[in-house]
Amino acid sequence: MKKIRVVHYINQFYGQIGGEDKADIAPILKEGFVGPGMQINNLLQERGEIVATVICGDNYFNENLDEATETILEMIGQFNPDVVIAGPSFNAGRYGMACGAVCKAVSEKFNIPTVTGMYIESPGVDGYRKYTYIVDTANSAVGMRTALPAMVKLSLKLIDGVELGDPKEEGYIARGVRRNYFHAERGSKRAVDMLIAKMNNQPYVTEYPMPTFDRVAPNAQILDMSKATIALVTSGGIVPKGNPDHIESSSASKFGKYDIEGVTDLTDKTYETAHGGYDPIYANIDADRVLPVDVLRELEAEGVIGKLHRYFYTTVGNGTSVANAKKFAAAIGKELVEAKVDAVILTST
Amino acid sequence: MDLENQARIKKFAEEFGAENLIVILGGAEAEAAGLAAETVSAGDPTYAGPLAGVSLGLAVYHVVEDEIKSECDAAVYEEQIGMMEMVLDVDAIKAEVSSIRKQYSKF
Repeated sequence: MKKIRVVHYINQFYGQIGGEDKADIAPILKEGFVGPGMQINNLLQERGEIVATVICGDNYFNENLDEATETILEMIGQFNPDVVIAGPSFNAGRYGMACGAVCKAVSEKFNIPTVTGMYIESPGVDGYRKYTYIVDTANSAVGMRTALPAMVKLSLKLIDGVELGDPKEEGYIARGVRRNYFHAERGSKRAVDMLIAKMNNQPYVTEYPMPTFDRVAPNAQILDMSKATIALVTSGGIVPKGNPDHIESSSASKFGKYDIEGVTDLTDKTYETAHGGYDPIYANIDADRVLPVDVLRELEAEGVIGKLHRYFYTTVGNGTSVANAKKFAAAIGKELVEAKVDAVILTST
Repeated sequence: MDLENQARIKKFAEEFGAENLIVILGGAEAEAAGLAAETVSAGDPTYAGPLAGVSLGLAVYHVVEDEIKSECDAAVYEEQIGMMEMVLDVDAIKAEVSSIRKQYSKF
């Protein structure tokens, strides 16, 4: 039997090039496996092998989406693969988006199966679940041991043309594809059974999960900015020097609220970032780059805005769960409304 | 375990011999300590670093384990580690690291 040809896509970290400081590297092509590809090769045994690995920095990919995708497609095309495996990226946001985008582009251009692996809350899941097979993984590299076998197994099934069953049983995140089949019981009975279970507080599983649209209706326009109170909120981790509340550099469990009365400029003596997911040098030199207190003070002095709210709110977005982020947002939002803040500028990284 | 530390440990193993090295960990969580222990014994389970696929089989202990604690001067241990010993989930760390050691340490 012909050996299956696999091309593997990974980021700079798993490509053993480096961490955040190397996140801006352009795509690199290496023959054979690199990093986690070693275990993919082991798992494929004699069925196939990784013929090439494409490595790209997470920042580079996301900041040069079209160009990076085109280069990567060209690199992958040279190797005539039967399947492309990307990641797994676990809960890494930019890496997840890159894995999803590469898989989508590859399946559209070469019409071959693609498989990746992500944690359910990764932004790549929402963006790309429709276009590729995303194995459901743990939220960190702790899950590598279970993610890779699942990804390889799914890849082999797709290549062999085995009909896939329920996404949950197959271990991938539902793509929203509907397929007809005959159930032992008719629909009306199943619906009544579910209703009875629900009324009795018994567990039941819906057959048609409703999509959740997380849309936020914009507030009414502020007609007179010169009277408006503006608050600054950031997920970029800006904190008073020394990070007094010990906000975690990753997977934050809390947010901070800090008084900036009389502060006109954030300096390297007074503020820094607690964020562990981007190169902190420039934010540490001048934290206004992430939390623009200086500019808002100028606008305040010029009368463009009424005033800057006395407190800013901050947390670290790096790997922070959506559930925690929503909790922080609700708490921060409540305080801002109570303080009669008219508008919020939310800065990221 | 980050790439630099993996590279350092690999270099030490080559330089001094794997049988002459003991790795003592200070990770604050059982899961993280277990990952580090696995990295220096079975190989990097995340396949991201120089120890990917390299089974050094090193002896590895966490500083809160009795084998290490009993080797230390009690007063120094109390001063340096006592505080952390109170706040960490010591039992979980011991269980995790010793389980990895039994499986993968060769020395």
